[in-house]
Amino acid sequence: MNVPTTVEKPGSRELSYAEALREAMGLALERDDRVILMGEDIGVYGGAFQVTGDLVDRFGTDRVRDTPISELGGAGVAVGAALTGLRPIFEFQFSDFAMLAMEQIANQAAKLRYMLGGEASVPVVMRMPGGSGTGAAAQHSQSLEAWFGHVPGLKVVQPSTPEDAKGLLLAALEDPDPVIIFEHKMLYKMKGEVPEGWYTTPIGKAAIRREGTDVTIVASAIMVHRALAAADELAKDGISVEVIDLRSVRPIDRETIIASVKKTGKLVCVYEGVRTLGVGAEISAMIAESEAFDFLDAPIQRLGGAEAPIPYNPELEKAAVPQTPGIVDCVRKLVGGQV
Amino acid sequence: MPTEVIMPKVDMDMDRGKVSVWHVAEGETVEKGAALFDIETDKAAMEVEAPASGKLHHVLAQPGADVPVGHPIAWIYAEGEEVGAIPDAADMPAAEPRQEAPSGSAPGAEGSAPNVPLAVSASDLDRPRATPAARRMVRAAGLDLADISGSGPHGRIQAADVERAIEARRRAPAPPPSRAPEAVEPSAPSVWADQSGALHVSRSKGEGRPLVMIHGFAADSMGWRPFEQALASRRPLIRIDLPSHGRSPRRRFASFPDFVRSVREAFDAVGLDEPVDLLAHSLGGAVALALADVRPRNIASLALIAPAGLGPQADAETLLGIARASRAESLAPWLKRLAGSPDAISWDFVKAAMVSREDPDLRQAQLDLAGVLFPDGTQSFDLSAALDRLEVPTTMIWGRRDMVIPWQHALRADGTVALHLLRESGHIPHVECPATVAGIVKRHLECAGR
Repeated sequence: MNVPTTVEKPGSRELSYAEALREAMGLALERDDRVILMGEDIGVYGGAFQVTGDLVDRFGTDRVRDTPISELGGAGVAVGAALTGLRPIFEFQFSDFAMLAMEQIANQAAKLRYMLGGEASVPVVMRMPGGSGTGAAAQHSQSLEAWFGHVPGLKVVQPSTPEDAKGLLLAALEDPDPVIIFEHKMLYKMKGEVPEGWYTTPIGKAAIRREGTDVTIVASAIMVHRALAAADELAKDGISVEVIDLRSVRPIDRETIIASVKKTGKLVCVYEGVRTLGVGAEISAMIAESEAFDFLDAPIQRLGGAEAPIPYNPELEKAAVPQTPGIVDCVRKLVGGQV
Repeated sequence: MPTEVIMPKVDMDMDRGKVSVWHVAEGETVEKGAALFDIETDKAAMEVEAPASGKLHHVLAQPGADVPVGHPIAWIYAEGEEVGAIPDAADMPAAEPRQEAPSGSAPGAEGSAPNVPLAVSASDLDRPRATPAARRMVRAAGLDLADISGSGPHGRIQAADVERAIEARRRAPAPPPSRAPEAVEPSAPSVWADQSGALHVSRSKGEGRPLVMIHGFAADSMGWRPFEQALASRRPLIRIDLPSHGRSPRRRFASFPDFVRSVREAFDAVGLDEPVDLLAHSLGGAVALALADVRPRNIASLALIAPAGLGPQADAETLLGIARASRAESLAPWLKRLAGSPDAISWDFVKAAMVSREDPDLRQAQLDLAGVLFPDGTQSFDLSAALDRLEVPTTMIWGRRDMVIPWQHALRADGTVALHLLRESGHIPHVECPATVAGIVKRHLECAGR
């Protein structure tokens, strides 16, 4: 791919998370003819969450292609296009619908490089709006990162800021293998500083969003913001919280998390996916197996989604995933020696 | 299978012993009942008989070695029995329950044969509960988990506990290994400063009517833990640390009413919009009675455990002894007087109590408080009238073996007060038999809730 991989000290301005993603796709379409966008209603309609917006006006329907309501078919075309030399970015309207395309994602895209002895690769990017909070109920609100993170051959990222949304999307495009981006629906309107021009956020590298000494919270996507709000609240009690933004579910940044837990001795994993067998379970086990074990001074805690489909009722929907007060409460108990 | 020879427990508060001499050499034959070895404890030296006939092998405890009670120190093989490797003690029925984990010797400590800790670690059945971080720190500092009391849940030893132990060792270099107890030089009374700020109140969330708890003299809110676990209630629990106790500021008071005023302020500040149930022990009981007198509409019921304020007598020596004790060794004898049976007070309990009393200012503040509240060893305040004025359901729990405040003070109560006199308990039934006390309190709260 003929794109610069270094940032030339760009200026930055405030963009929303959705605008940052659109800017990234626009840059890619401008610079590389092989890049195409595919997905349901991404053209004239501008995408289910208006992420592609006016890109069809700028680049035409050949490069910004609406696909029929068939996730398996669309994903299959994208995988085939990637395999034969294009750089498709495929948008699912909701990550939940990716289940219809599992064969193409998990069995084809993730495995072809291995099954063809490295003679081929599938450089496809799949964008998946995920998470709850929109009142869209059980079939449109799931957080399925752990499902995809369980498949070797895929990379799975979860940007939590506009800057990372753009940087991780461009990093996904530069990657020679399939990358799944989970975009949190409740973050699309969130604004933040976004550098101009082409830059990438490294896949597999977590970010320390707040430094602290008493407890480490590892969170992803919208949970990063709830963890930061909890950290503000806890600071009033003199509890110093380190907040790590996971950013990448596969691969996981072991070094950053291990170093932090060695410093604080306490770990809370906060994630929106169902708690059992989720991302937090993996991080807990990773820490228990690591050199950080000897530094643990309290049991590891996991705050995850309820063991239930996301409810439609707005209050129940909130109760089904971790919220700031619950994080505060968990950390207080942990630091207060009640766990 | 060879017969295990263990370090026997020869007096009640012994938890380690020393072999002073073996009467039988390794490989020699011994008859059951013959003198096998001598032991020394803090108090006595005595001869121990062979538990079986045969040949003595695997002598682990050399003379001078300090061994926890119940740990194997040698084995006797029957005539003709093949002598193999040292039996894994964990596979063998223990002659006595293991008392504590083996003690690794701290650098500088003398008298431990190096092979003893190694050998007994195989039979280490009751590992102390400790976090990985605490274990790492203990290893690095050359300490022994068995010597550290844990302040975490279920007595778990945490990093902060080890830090305290390291700090304590730094302040008081390794005690001489001799049996003579170290002479305690009378420390000059520390001049402590009055501290400002509100009393420490801890709350746990729950549903239903809150239960407010007030501890006794020289205790703190942590003392409710066994009771709380036994109660297993879903109610919100609100624990008040009395002034100069636990995490509350140290304060000087001119009188009992002065003292009560500060607790009342804390009670008012809790911001309860409904009446609460009140549970209190000893001095806290007197405070609770005084509170109920001035805040009758805020209190739905009263449960009092061995409350003060119902008669002049009190064992001031015990109270002062506890307040004064600057180390576990001097604290233990006084704490034992709190219980109906001295065995109820374990060494771990003493060590845990001492951890929260390490601050000399706190001890001096409590001594000074005792001087105000118990001048000449007398309870200077009388709450009998307040007790008579109570109109809410009231339950009184008292141990018949209470040596600190006579249980007969309970008889000051009028017939509307429920009396529970526990035959075997002393002054701290909620610590001695938490389940029984929790059961009584639970019924009391149920009745009061109707």
